[in-house]
Amino acid sequence: MAARDQHGAEAPWDQGFRVVGKENRKVDGLSKATGEAIYTDDIQLPGMLHAKMLRSPHPHARVLSVDTSKAEALPGVVGVLVGAELPVRYGVIPWTPDETALAVDKVRFIGDEVAAVAAVDEDTANEALDLIEVEYEVLDAILDPEQALVTPEPPIHEDRKRRDNISKHVELEFGDVAAQVEDADVVIEGDYTFHSTTHAAIEPHCAVAQPNSDGRITLWSSTQITHYVHRALARVLELDPARIRVIQPCLGGGFGGKSDPFSLEFVVAQLALKTGRPVKMLWTREEVFYAHRGRHPMKMHYRTTAKADGTITGVDAKLLIDGGSYSSFGLVTTYYSGQLLTGPYAFPNYRFDSTRVFTNRPPNGPKRGHGSVQPRFAFEIQLDEVAEQLSIDPIEIRRRNFLGEHTETVNGQRVTSNGFMQCLEEVEKASDWRERRGKLPFGRGLGVAGSMYISGTNYPVYPNKMPQAGVQLKIDRSGLVTVFTGGNDIGQGSNSMVAYLVAEELGIKVEHVKVVAADTDLCPVDLGAYSSRVTFMVGNAAIDGARKLRKQIVEAVAKNWEVEPRDVRLMDGTVVDLSAEARSMTHVEAFHLAEEMFDTLGSTGAYNTPTLGGDYRGGTIGSSPAYSFTAHVADVEVDTETGRITVNKVWVAHDCGRALNPMIVRGQMEGSTYMGAAEVSLESHHLNRFGLHAGPSLLDYRIPTSVDTPELEALIVESIDPEGPFGAKEAGEGPLHSTIPAIANAVFDAVGIRLRHLPFTPAKVLAALRAKEEQA
Amino acid sequence: MRVFRLHVNGDPVEVAAPEHWTLLEVLRYQLGLTGSKQGCDKGDCGACTVLVDGTPTLSCLSLAATVEDQQITTIEGLLPAHRAAGGEGADPLQESFDESGALQCGFCQPGMILSAKALLAENPDPSAAEIKESLAGNLCRCTGYTQIYEAVLAAAKADMHAAISTDSAKEVQS
Amino acid sequence: MLRLPKFEVKNPATAEEAVAMILEIEGDARFIAGGTDLNPNMKHGLFAPERVIALNGIGELQGIRLDEDGSMRIGAMATLAEVTKHAELNQFYPALCQAAKLVSGPQLRNMGTLGGNVMLDTRCQWYNQTYFWRKSLGYCMKKDGSKCHVVEGGSKCVAAASNDTAPALMTLNAELEFVTTEGRARLPIADLWQADGIWNKKLPHTALLVAIHLPKPAANSHGAYGKLRDRGSVDFPLFGIAARLNFGSDGTIEDAALCAVALQARPWPLKKAASLLIGTHPGKDDFNDAVEKVANLAAKQCRPMPNIPGDHEYRHLMVPVFTRRTLHAAASDEGPVHHV
Ligand SMILES: Cc1cc2nc3c(=O)[nH]c(=O)nc-3n(C[C@H](O)[C@H](O)[C@H](O)COP(=O)(O)OP(=O)(O)OC[C@H]3O[C@@H](n4cnc5c(N)ncnc54)[C@H](O)[C@@H]3O)c2cc1C
Ligand code: SF4
Ligand code: FES
Ligand code: FES
Repeated sequence: MAARDQHGAEAPWDQGFRVVGKENRKVDGLSKATGEAIYTDDIQLPGMLHAKMLRSPHPHARVLSVDTSKAEALPGVVGVLVGAELPVRYGVIPWTPDETALAVDKVRFIGDEVAAVAAVDEDTANEALDLIEVEYEVLDAILDPEQALVTPEPPIHEDRKRRDNISKHVELEFGDVAAQVEDADVVIEGDYTFHSTTHAAIEPHCAVAQPNSDGRITLWSSTQITHYVHRALARVLELDPARIRVIQPCLGGGFGGKSDPFSLEFVVAQLALKTGRPVKMLWTREEVFYAHRGRHPMKMHYRTTAKADGTITGVDAKLLIDGGSYSSFGLVTTYYSGQLLTGPYAFPNYRFDSTRVFTNRPPNGPKRGHGSVQPRFAFEIQLDEVAEQLSIDPIEIRRRNFLGEHTETVNGQRVTSNGFMQCLEEVEKASDWRERRGKLPFGRGLGVAGSMYISGTNYPVYPNKMPQAGVQLKIDRSGLVTVFTGGNDIGQGSNSMVAYLVAEELGIKVEHVKVVAADTDLCPVDLGAYSSRVTFMVGNAAIDGARKLRKQIVEAVAKNWEVEPRDVRLMDGTVVDLSAEARSMTHVEAFHLAEEMFDTLGSTGAYNTPTLGGDYRGGTIGSSPAYSFTAHVADVEVDTETGRITVNKVWVAHDCGRALNPMIVRGQMEGSTYMGAAEVSLESHHLNRFGLHAGPSLLDYRIPTSVDTPELEALIVESIDPEGPFGAKEAGEGPLHSTIPAIANAVFDAVGIRLRHLPFTPAKVLAALRAKEEQA
Repeated sequence: MRVFRLHVNGDPVEVAAPEHWTLLEVLRYQLGLTGSKQGCDKGDCGACTVLVDGTPTLSCLSLAATVEDQQITTIEGLLPAHRAAGGEGADPLQESFDESGALQCGFCQPGMILSAKALLAENPDPSAAEIKESLAGNLCRCTGYTQIYEAVLAAAKADMHAAISTDSAKEVQS
Repeated sequence: MLRLPKFEVKNPATAEEAVAMILEIEGDARFIAGGTDLNPNMKHGLFAPERVIALNGIGELQGIRLDEDGSMRIGAMATLAEVTKHAELNQFYPALCQAAKLVSGPQLRNMGTLGGNVMLDTRCQWYNQTYFWRKSLGYCMKKDGSKCHVVEGGSKCVAAASNDTAPALMTLNAELEFVTTEGRARLPIADLWQADGIWNKKLPHTALLVAIHLPKPAANSHGAYGKLRDRGSVDFPLFGIAARLNFGSDGTIEDAALCAVALQARPWPLKKAASLLIGTHPGKDDFNDAVEKVANLAAKQCRPMPNIPGDHEYRHLMVPVFTRRTLHAAASDEGPVHHV
């Protein structure tokens, strides 16, 4: 099954790429542009009930009783659900199942789910919520991670082995960092803060469940990981998974915010089973803010040691991670916070000590650049400080510490292709860095930063040896090829990518490929849209499946023409004979010949990562079959009177291996960079003194409008990875990372202040400017 | 319940719905026109933008009862209107959004496209700054807006070409 | 979705009919203009009227016109977009057009009316929230509760007037034409407000605003609006300030008016500060010096509170900056003052 061995990065036919590398339209673009595409909330079923959730008003409390009798008596209420009816715990990471669909014994943050009602319409369901009587015993709330660290009592989760509020602790050392301090020419040490931010996909979470008369149930959900929802549903509903079908309709954005199984999915399914009617739950924007799973706030301490020539000798990190109220992906987050820092620079000594704690805040989870955006922010500022102290150009110091390609990181991760040097060169050139950096008038500046990210992880969330990605192909006599994939297209364009790869491999036109995705009844398992794994893994699986079919088609045509298989070439839907005779046929005719010869045509394709990772506990977490690399240069302006930072422009160069569709890659790079820039000074998932989200709306959580977004220029770098699908790697998360430190470093160039604590509000900028004046 | 007499995408429609429902609810859940999206339901995001008498309007903040005499255009109305005018494919803006890669998750796009449609109707040759400003009430979380600007500019250019060629065609004819 | 309360909708054809309709039922009833303030508020459970009276069918509330006496009559239902685009308004009352242009985003300006902006409910981070949110907190004085979370132990609601056009209309000495049960009356806009965040107007919500009248401008009148907010669109003001400067024939300032918003329950006129500008010469040092004094005085008189989102101490630091910039912008016709 080591499908990766078979592909190679070259075009499958001798005429070069016909589909890959071209700016093809997306397979679903027009359906989205015309309003035809169906998203979860667009599904309306006859007799459908509307469900609403009752939520906790307390950040921490014991649920003593829930009385739903009055709600049940309200005309129009059809079903009511309480925690005791769905007591089975779940969690996306199988080792830390600490969530229940509805509170069983405790609530752990304001907004935690307590009960649910299904009624004939939303108004009635809301009315019923008000009639549910809940008796709480209010407990002390822990809202601050520092406090969580030193406060074992009351434990937010009571029945774990440890009786404290530590969710996960990881400490790993490679080499000897302490020993470097003495020999170092420069030691930079400092504290950094990354605040809380959230995904804010424009589509709110929604789920619809339909019970079938044969005892089966279908769930449509706005999830980015159908497979884990499927597993979790079977577990919590205590149903045979073969009786459950999970479908992801068109998804209105995810960014990691739709990766966990969410309470609404269990609740609508159970209410549907209970009432025998279809049930929909659509969360309000406010509820989405409570569901959260946003970027983990981190308090970070870094010490970097370097030689006079700028070579880094050691990095020592201590991180405190605010997990919020549940584990979610927290185990992985804790590892990622250390494991993913070990490129694009080589450093021989590295230590990290990461602690994730529980607090009574909405749970944190994976947001675009899971676990590694925060450390990257801190470290890239430190690197800038090293450069400053040594009077080395910030781009130059990054070059000097380049990790190299086809190598291994200090923590034992195998790195294949690496286009980071070219990324630096691209942004240096495009931004006119040499002419402008350090030479702009006071108030304006340029900053650079670099980063690395995974293209999928070889750590499957639950241990198994089956493929991480699978596809199935079916050929129709019409000439249409249907590809079935469990992969989740969440807007990133993975269905289009599958269509391009299959079309390329079979030598047909993209319009002759149809992709059916993310339906557990129809599609082979894929682990879902997270960790930037879909292009790499599903892409490889798609090529694998298509290649098998291609062999059959070529063989059938060769036999018919009585030529060697190597003389048969498929191109744009036409089969040509490369031997002397000039003849051809359509791909449809070729399909017919193949079907005559091999019977009904179909194939499967699969991908699994090679064995990777360091030989130590946790060594596989963060190991990826390939890494992407990014460099950003930001051009900023600081108004020294208002403290406002305006980012004029960001250049982003990203090594995506091969751009299967440069237009889509640019879109990912621009979208990532936009999202990173937004985290610098605008966005903050902020709780007030009561532990209540201060402004759970798209008005008060300020995501940038068009006029707040810097000019973005995407520069694609193609290192052609030996194992990626035709050489491709990820482009969806990597290009976020270094946006933030590049802006921080540009602010330093502009006005000479080092900002280390996000968000960079105008007030903080003013305070720093004032402090600097006082020093001078 | 009240019977609303609406004019949607050129059709006169009578539809019964609770009197306190918004236009967005009536469009989505009563008429099945689910192309208009809901991202906040209170005026913050622009996903529910429709055209009312050609003007970009938030349907989540419009009572169905207050738009009865006006012409409502939803995203579903563009392609048929384009075909009715003798065009091929989808509306040029829809085509250019697709060609420019502006459609990622697509959730903001019906609203975005309608805002752009109104802009081009008023100003067929907008500057980059004008495009930016006219879309400042439509939040997009995927694209960073760049490819959206490209799409609108491309559509404006295509429109200008079309206008020029029809003009010259007319000149030739006369 | 967020739910609106179950109400009936009335569509009156005249102002008098509308006023009759709002008074004829016992339960709560509300006028609705563009609905861009009332609808979100109702979805948050802040108002639960049994009847909503739509004003869009009333002819006399529409349109903008120049009256014979040289004053301008803006119908209450004129949208902010109409105000923004109106040529004479831009020429003679720039601060108003700039303020209108900086309200929210494009669609909301197409929908929102000038009348609705004047009559806008005050805003507070503890109040403009959903029913669940406010309930979790035990509510507050402005709605359903007894405490204030801004001024703990305070006895008066200090929710902030957040309507961008109000300070501009204040500097322009606008007059408001209302229809009430008592008939028609005109009221200087300065007399509309009271210092109570729960209801910051002296007239009840049953009074119908028909039109906003702007007196004929002085021959050489200049103005500007400055707005502090986080984003370049959509956001309400964190601080707003309008300025009007009338130049004499020799370029001396003969009259000046300044008014701020997004502080407390009412728009905040800065009369004393503005008077320091009289007799100075824009472009000369005396004007620049006076502007500095005005800015400092404004900082003393404007005390932002933690009522609306954002850092109120920072908002305070911005008072002199925006005052100064807005005055310079007014003098040189370079408004608005806004970061994008
Ligand atoms: C996301 C968002 C951002 C916003 N940003 C801003 C901003 O930056 N600046 C700003 O100033 N506003 C802002 N607003 C508020 C609002 O859009 C504007 O103030 C608008 O002008 C309100 O007008 P309207 O016609 O929609 O009022 P409506 O909502 O119809 O009415 C508002 C209130 O006034 C009353 N009323 C309306 N017309 C009359 C009348 N003729 N006589 C008597 N009473 C009347 C109504 O009963 C209601 O109580 C924002 C709103 C949203 C949703
Ligand atoms: S100021 Fe805010 S918290 Fe205080 S009473 Fe008014 S609305 Fe409530
Ligand atoms: S749904 Fe109407 S503005 Fe967000
Ligand atoms: S394309 Fe996803 S929100 Fe705009």
